Amino acid sequence: MRILVYKGIKYLVLILWSAFVAGPFLWALSTSFKDDAAVVSGATYIPFVDFEPSLDGWKVLFSATEGVNILGPFISSLVVTLVSSLVSLALGTLAAYGLSRFTFRAGPLGNTDITFFFISQRIITPVVLAIPYFLLLKMFRLLDTHVGLILIYIAMLLPIVVWIMVDFFNNISTELDEAALIDGCTPVEAFYKIILPECTPGLVVTGLLCFIFAWNDFFFAFTLTFADTQLLPVSIVALNSSKVPWWSLSSSSLIAILPLVFLAIWLERFLTRGALLGPLK
Amino acid sequence: MIESRHKYLFLFPALFTLIAIIIFPLVYTFRLSFSSWDVVQPTLDFIGFDNYVRVFNDMRFWESLATLGTVVLSVVSIEYIIGFALALLLWQDIERNRFFRVLFIIPMMATPVIISVVWRTMFHESLGPINDLLTMAHLPTVPWLSKPTSALIAVIIVDIWQWTSFIFILLLAGLLSLPHEPYEAAAMDGANRFQTFWHVTFPMMAPITIGILIIRIIEASKIMETVYVLTSGGPGTSTETSAYYIFIRSLREFQIGYSAAMSIVYLLLMILALMLIAKGLTRGLVSKGG
Amino acid sequence: MVKNRMTKIVVTIALAAGLSAGGVARADKWSEKYPIKEDVPGPASYEATSKKDYKGRTLTILTHAIPVMGEPTALHAKQFEKLTGAKVKVVHVPFGDLFQKAMIPFQTGQAAYDVMFYGSLWIGDFHNYLAPVPGEYIGMPQMQEVTRNYKDVATWEGRMIQFPVDGDRHYLKYRSDVINNPELRAKYKEKTGKELRVPQTWKEYAEMGRFFNNWDWDGDGEKNYGSAEVVARDNLMFSAIISRVAPYAKHPDVKGGFFFDLETMEPLVNTPGWVEGVKDFVEAQNYMPPGGNNFGLGDEIFSFGGGQTLFSYSWDDAFVQAMEPKSRIRNLVGAAPLPGAHKVWNRKTGKWDKFDTPNRAPYICWGWTSAVIKASKNKDMAFDYLAFFANPANHASDLLVGRFGVNPYRTTDFDPKFYIKEAGWAPDVAKTYCATLSGMDKSQNRVFDLRVPGVNQYMSSLAAGVSKALAKQLTPQQAMDEVAVEWKQITKRLGKDRVRKAYANVVALEDNLKR
Repeated sequence: MRILVYKGIKYLVLILWSAFVAGPFLWALSTSFKDDAAVVSGATYIPFVDFEPSLDGWKVLFSATEGVNILGPFISSLVVTLVSSLVSLALGTLAAYGLSRFTFRAGPLGNTDITFFFISQRIITPVVLAIPYFLLLKMFRLLDTHVGLILIYIAMLLPIVVWIMVDFFNNISTELDEAALIDGCTPVEAFYKIILPECTPGLVVTGLLCFIFAWNDFFFAFTLTFADTQLLPVSIVALNSSKVPWWSLSSSSLIAILPLVFLAIWLERFLTRGALLGPLK
Repeated sequence: MIESRHKYLFLFPALFTLIAIIIFPLVYTFRLSFSSWDVVQPTLDFIGFDNYVRVFNDMRFWESLATLGTVVLSVVSIEYIIGFALALLLWQDIERNRFFRVLFIIPMMATPVIISVVWRTMFHESLGPINDLLTMAHLPTVPWLSKPTSALIAVIIVDIWQWTSFIFILLLAGLLSLPHEPYEAAAMDGANRFQTFWHVTFPMMAPITIGILIIRIIEASKIMETVYVLTSGGPGTSTETSAYYIFIRSLREFQIGYSAAMSIVYLLLMILALMLIAKGLTRGLVSKGG
Repeated sequence: MVKNRMTKIVVTIALAAGLSAGGVARADKWSEKYPIKEDVPGPASYEATSKKDYKGRTLTILTHAIPVMGEPTALHAKQFEKLTGAKVKVVHVPFGDLFQKAMIPFQTGQAAYDVMFYGSLWIGDFHNYLAPVPGEYIGMPQMQEVTRNYKDVATWEGRMIQFPVDGDRHYLKYRSDVINNPELRAKYKEKTGKELRVPQTWKEYAEMGRFFNNWDWDGDGEKNYGSAEVVARDNLMFSAIISRVAPYAKHPDVKGGFFFDLETMEPLVNTPGWVEGVKDFVEAQNYMPPGGNNFGLGDEIFSFGGGQTLFSYSWDDAFVQAMEPKSRIRNLVGAAPLPGAHKVWNRKTGKWDKFDTPNRAPYICWGWTSAVIKASKNKDMAFDYLAFFANPANHASDLLVGRFGVNPYRTTDFDPKFYIKEAGWAPDVAKTYCATLSGMDKSQNRVFDLRVPGVNQYMSSLAAGVSKALAKQLTPQQAMDEVAVEWKQITKRLGKDRVRKAYANVVALEDNLKR
């Protein structure tokens, strides 16, 4: 009986939250098939029943003059996001492992201070960095290039990787390292042969977060480019005119999220695989 | 702790990469805060502490900081509670519930600039669905974006919608990487569900909880696009957060020197606040676990 | 059998095509390939542009988001590419981000764009970075047709540095099916003792707005409301308040400044004329639709254009939206000059002056304009593109596409027949529209934007102050006093002489001085 009540409450909570989470997406889906007339006549939900559907909201995403062509920006976004995420993940994981396992001292500052230094780089409001970053990239002739954006994104993602991975490494007992070292591994070998596999959940989640943060960055992708390098959020926002086109904004919000949804499905499998193999059920 | 000659190999690549990229912008911002760079003269002159004096007399800045405090405190605590609850409901029963797990990660993947516009259409009082559904359910409608309190709540709802997933996924990963031994021990002691949670799960999750809360506080404090799209700081100044205020002063009005000074003040205050919060959390959560 | 039917279909299609081609009497080779009615001969015509050779060169254009202004930019860019062999890159940016997108490269000395479309009120900030329009373009027939208001808007210290591509202004829009409805007129007369007519003053606007608020007066089952306005703080609200303040604060006989007293550079925003307009605005919240006090321009367009409200005033868009072919209030709207006021603050005497005929002060509100950047290496091509963009053939076809946001600004645009014939408007609608728009050009009591460096600082301070009054955080007087204090500080920071020098240009326009 108690189990049943628990299950009931559990699924009630899950379903309520699902409704809240899915709401905006369903609304966007419905809106993406509307046009002027369907929008101004009040809230409507189901195509054909409540309103006459129109494909305008979707067409505008793939035509060059009436809208934006999102295919090029889509690929650019993918490249920039992947490269910056992978580099940040590689460098950041190393640093996080170092900070978790070894003692560093720089005067009065110790490990926690160095870790905090990393994350503190996320605090400053991006808007004031616009002009300094612009000048920096201008100096190196990297304005309006993929490389320039990748550099900026590495600076944006590294702190997150270090900060999160330190906690995951801390959760893993140092006995494992010691055993590996006794077996004759070098510290580097111990790191990637023994420890890294142990914290795949953390690694995968952190990678996902990097991907999301870089994929969704609008500000730097917008400020530090002119015409040649266009990333997805920038080209989607190019549809946000003074008369807000509800329909195409809705369709573009769904398009932009699509690749990430596949990533989420894959990630969920990956994340739970370790747990499935383990004795914990 | 292990000692090794190779330890610098781990830390230095990341540290120096980061410093190489950020050193110039940071120093430049600091320098800007002592200049009168604005829309008419983009120059690095030196005007001493004038900008800082102005910050201290700028009531709108301090009010925006207070608004920010309210927003961040509410969103981070609510997101943490919900996120943890959902993670606890979903970290076992691996084969089932995949659907929920995937669905709950998705909101944070939505491009903030765009999804805020979608939310704005949802809150629209005559054309949007929320008030329409409230009316259908015979509930009173809410003046979502046009009254100070409800506008603030609207901003908070959108943030919770988007970022609970962040806390959820990190806590879920944390739960999934917990060692098994303590649970076996607890089971042998005949601990019930609640006792296991309180004496085993919660303490073991404490370090990662602190990490997550700190990073959430930092990220939530940058809330700007949501405010811009939903309320543009209004009604009056009721939803104006610091990041939004700095945005207006810098990129709308091009008071670059002044906004650099505001950012430096904001940065220092945040670092101070975060150190206090981290200390408080460590004392509250970790020591208790013992 | 099947084959037979196929032939029939082919023949029918061929016939239909032939007929329709024959129907357009003056079709030329350009109108077959491009969405225009006919090429109009001239120095920037399709014919003339096609003779230019820009092969191997690239033009970069910064413009607004799609569709308003952004879509015609891209469309004419594609056409320009085909005609001249140039490569044209177009970047679309939402309005809120446009200023920074242009200003950061300017301030850091980066030549990022050749051509830029932007809000004409930024001329004070941008003028140092813009290339003057060469004489040969000013001399083009299409430029001679630009009306006085829009030549004035494009000019800085006697030189044309913006290339007119659009005409913007604020005017009143109303539902003609209400204002001209005998039953509703009788009902209004009975309840209020006053005539229902196109409001002549803001007080009248408010009375009618209140009366027609919160009940279903068009019988569609949905409630209707009084007025849709742009009220969201950082979403162009500053222009709405100028429209509301203008007739109270712009005295036809008092020269020397609307925003400032040009002599002393003292802000006038907290004088009784201004405060009166703010009071009206605060009061107007009582007859706006639900959520109306957070409406941005987009919401205003949907609200009035969707048939929700009786009145609206601001740019053309809401009117155009209402007149879209699928709109259910098509031809049920009218245009009129902005309401006026019976009392006008006279700051010279420090008294209210009474006006029996309401004082009108048309607000020649800023709008879309374009310019070529001084640092551009492609100025020749850039000006040719702009001239082509605005050539009579393109302009006529752009005017007919509502979502393009291209509005009348040439003497040839104010002929009601054009809208009746080409757009299918009802004659009454076309007449009120053309009369209202062209009437503004004749006014001697115009208000212009604060076209000075740092205009965004002044306007965002104004919007913040008014917003506090709207949210009842402060009284209108307190709020505007606060704005005045801030404006003094802004002027001090920017340099009084610099601002005064620029503001003198605005005052010269308002006082109808020849400079």
